[in-house]
Amino acid sequence: MNAPTPPAIRHSAWNIWLNPIFRRYCQSRLRIRDLGITLLLTILVAGFLFAMATSFGARRSMDAVDAARNGIIPLLVLQALILFVLGTAQVAGGMTAERDEGVIDYQRLIPMSPLAKVMGYLFGLPVREYVLFLATMPLSIWCLWQGRVTWNIWLPIYGVLFSSTLLYHLTGLITGTVVRNRRWAFLTSIALVFSLYTVIPQMANFGLVFFKYLTITPVFTECLPGILPKTAGSALKAAQHLLPTVKFFNLDFSEAVFTLFSQSGLALTFVVMLCRKWRRQESHLLGKLWATGFFLWIQILLLGNAIPLIEPGSLFPSQGFAWMSRIVPDWAPAKSEAVLMSGIYGLVTLGLLWVLSGIITASGDHQLKGWRRVRKQGLSAMPTLADAATGFFFTATMAVAGALGWYWFTRALVESSWFPGHRAPWHILGVFLAVLLAAGLGFQALLERKGGRATGLAVILVGVFPLMAGAVLGMISERLYPIGAWLVGMSPLSMPFFAAATILSISELPATLARAVPRSFCFWLAVWCVSTPWLGWKLWEKRSTLAARCHPDAPNQPSIPPSKTKSAGPVRVTF
Amino acid sequence: MTTSDPLSGHTRSAIDIRCLRVDYGEFTAVDDFTLSVPQGEIFGLVGPNGAGKTSLFKVITSLMEPTYGEVLLDGVDVFEDTESVRRIIGYMPDLAPVPTDLRVWEFLDFHAAAYGLGSGAQRRSRVEECLAEVDLTPQRNSWCKALSRGQTQRAVLAKTMLHRPRVLILDEPASGLDPLARRDLRNALRALTRAGATVFVSSHILGELAEMCSSLCVMNCGQLLASGTADQVRHQLGNTGRTIVASLLGRHEEAVAWLTGQSWVHDPRMNGGHVLFGFDGGDDAQANLMESLIGNGFRLRAFEEKRSSFEEILVEVAETNRQT
Repeated sequence: MNAPTPPAIRHSAWNIWLNPIFRRYCQSRLRIRDLGITLLLTILVAGFLFAMATSFGARRSMDAVDAARNGIIPLLVLQALILFVLGTAQVAGGMTAERDEGVIDYQRLIPMSPLAKVMGYLFGLPVREYVLFLATMPLSIWCLWQGRVTWNIWLPIYGVLFSSTLLYHLTGLITGTVVRNRRWAFLTSIALVFSLYTVIPQMANFGLVFFKYLTITPVFTECLPGILPKTAGSALKAAQHLLPTVKFFNLDFSEAVFTLFSQSGLALTFVVMLCRKWRRQESHLLGKLWATGFFLWIQILLLGNAIPLIEPGSLFPSQGFAWMSRIVPDWAPAKSEAVLMSGIYGLVTLGLLWVLSGIITASGDHQLKGWRRVRKQGLSAMPTLADAATGFFFTATMAVAGALGWYWFTRALVESSWFPGHRAPWHILGVFLAVLLAAGLGFQALLERKGGRATGLAVILVGVFPLMAGAVLGMISERLYPIGAWLVGMSPLSMPFFAAATILSISELPATLARAVPRSFCFWLAVWCVSTPWLGWKLWEKRSTLAARCHPDAPNQPSIPPSKTKSAGPVRVTF
Repeated sequence: MTTSDPLSGHTRSAIDIRCLRVDYGEFTAVDDFTLSVPQGEIFGLVGPNGAGKTSLFKVITSLMEPTYGEVLLDGVDVFEDTESVRRIIGYMPDLAPVPTDLRVWEFLDFHAAAYGLGSGAQRRSRVEECLAEVDLTPQRNSWCKALSRGQTQRAVLAKTMLHRPRVLILDEPASGLDPLARRDLRNALRALTRAGATVFVSSHILGELAEMCSSLCVMNCGQLLASGTADQVRHQLGNTGRTIVASLLGRHEEAVAWLTGQSWVHDPRMNGGHVLFGFDGGDDAQANLMESLIGNGFRLRAFEEKRSSFEEILVEVAETNRQT
């Protein structure tokens, strides 16, 4: 203790080799005793796949190049499994274990920037999986070299494999940081990775092309001819000429560049979330401005990818089917397809709106704390961007932006050359606005006023149950379709579809639903349009009561001595 | 060992807490807490479970943001310049968790690297130094998870001391330690303060805390009840009276009757072979009473003054608060 406290050194976030957290995990996760068996097993499996694939090629009298190419895909699958599944699970589980054991507080206190800590965990926790991946690489390199695969083929594949790995691991890191139970963190991260990168990308088949760029699939598909045996590769390459290139409004990109661009935006948002949590444990995952910006960014990407594909017809799911089966030479999209795609766009927008408004909405505890702090500082109002401030107006902004995007997409569909004579007048925008404002703000106001449990219950009772009940009624008898439609119409989840089916001129509802769907939609939209302002009013009342309760002069208020100088900490606003 | 600011002439505090409040929803864990801990002291924090000690420590160490209030460590605002503050504090949490996948020296080496304690050799030397200070050198290669409770406490204490923090925040550091280890801990903390560090320590072993600390404060239900030296705290808590135990050779009942009429004496009673009574007078009055007792023919074998222990005072405070 005789020596003074050492001078401050800054750990660079980018110098990963010197990152203490990374080195700590290298120490603990790369012990020969533990690594040895896993490494042996991985090399064994990789060697088996390699030997099987190349022997199969030799047996089929393929030349050396084709035989070597046979081994590339099995090894890629193994490498993806190691990095995506094992790595992500390790990241999520390891992060939760840190908190479980209680040592995370030590890491919070070490003088490293939040970004340096995030980088340390991002590369440190899955370091064993990286080593296992590297252990399989000599076989892959041999296959690529012997298979004469050019650098412009393997570089994009491995580049996007790496960027997707980072994205998946960041997802795991966020889950591990947010979910408290170790087992739940593991399951949630796997479920989240599965839905984000397997289920949601399927939306690409229904017009939301952007989502497929969150996966390795587009780049892999583009490069596939180059890594397949020559004969199969040539055939696939000829077929690929029929596929569209990546378009973003009027710009053309390669699959790899656009995938990296899309993934980096999401990865950046994940890093911001993690840094916020490292900086202050209690803070929201995203600030209000960032959440709104992120929502706008997703809207722009969705529109930028989708709109250029409408006129060529590549956006319509039925064209993909017709192209593959080659059974419909005079293909044209069905009107119902466009209505469905508009509905899906609206639903995805609404879902994203709910997720982001959930992130920026302060819990009751946060609001109370925020008001006490504001009062202590002698302020009359909460700073707009503070976590404890209401998320109502930001949700409204996102809802308006979402409605504009939805309208733009729908208008491009309806007014395309595929549906001559049809128009999407401006009043449609009004209806879309009403749907997103009513459903989005209603959810947000309820969440902010009543908290997560009550909102969850409301989502089940009003959002999910009517859908299920309506579907069951529809299955019983065709005569029950109208009742089913009335029930389903109650759920905000059905509103985007009902809106598109009701107000678009291209909509062709079956006779059994032709009256029920528009009436149900109008009725329930009216109910929601009345309920949401009421919920908003009740929220305003609650916030006013809270603000008044925290006022120093309020009765039953614990005495808050007036600050002399700067006795109350400032309200910190982070973005 | 307090230091003065040469410009203002005021004593500079190592820890300055002003109007601090911590809420968990409707529950207030720390309520309008103001305290100054002078530099170079071992300052004790005493309070029953749920008093708000851990919340207070978490705020001081920047692990938790308060509802409002200000905390300055060595003059630096904890929430304005968190990174600087984290360089000057060492925090040992309650139950002292350790990672299960590291050996003792690796655990320390990681923290030494994180605090930027020089090259590999310099770090290793500092790690060995700290291990020796807590008498854990023989366990340097043991797995952290294999350590006993006391050894774990010592390993975490070594980690806390690694970067030579100017302010140490220790939450229940003595729990789980055997008497020998407690003595060593006490000596280690004294050595730290001699070198200029300030130690803010909480404990349930109150007697020991009173023995170890130059000053202490008592906290209950989130509020500061008293602070100062042990005697000052006793005085502030209104417990200045003493109990006297007189050991007599016979005539106990007569002694009780005689004492009932004496000034300053209250509540005399028999307890086995002794006579117990409360006494509110000063030292002179107490000497006179002993003289009179002998003068009246009572054969006095021993005459002992017994003060309420800190435990008794705290139990009394906690009970009073619970009732109110």
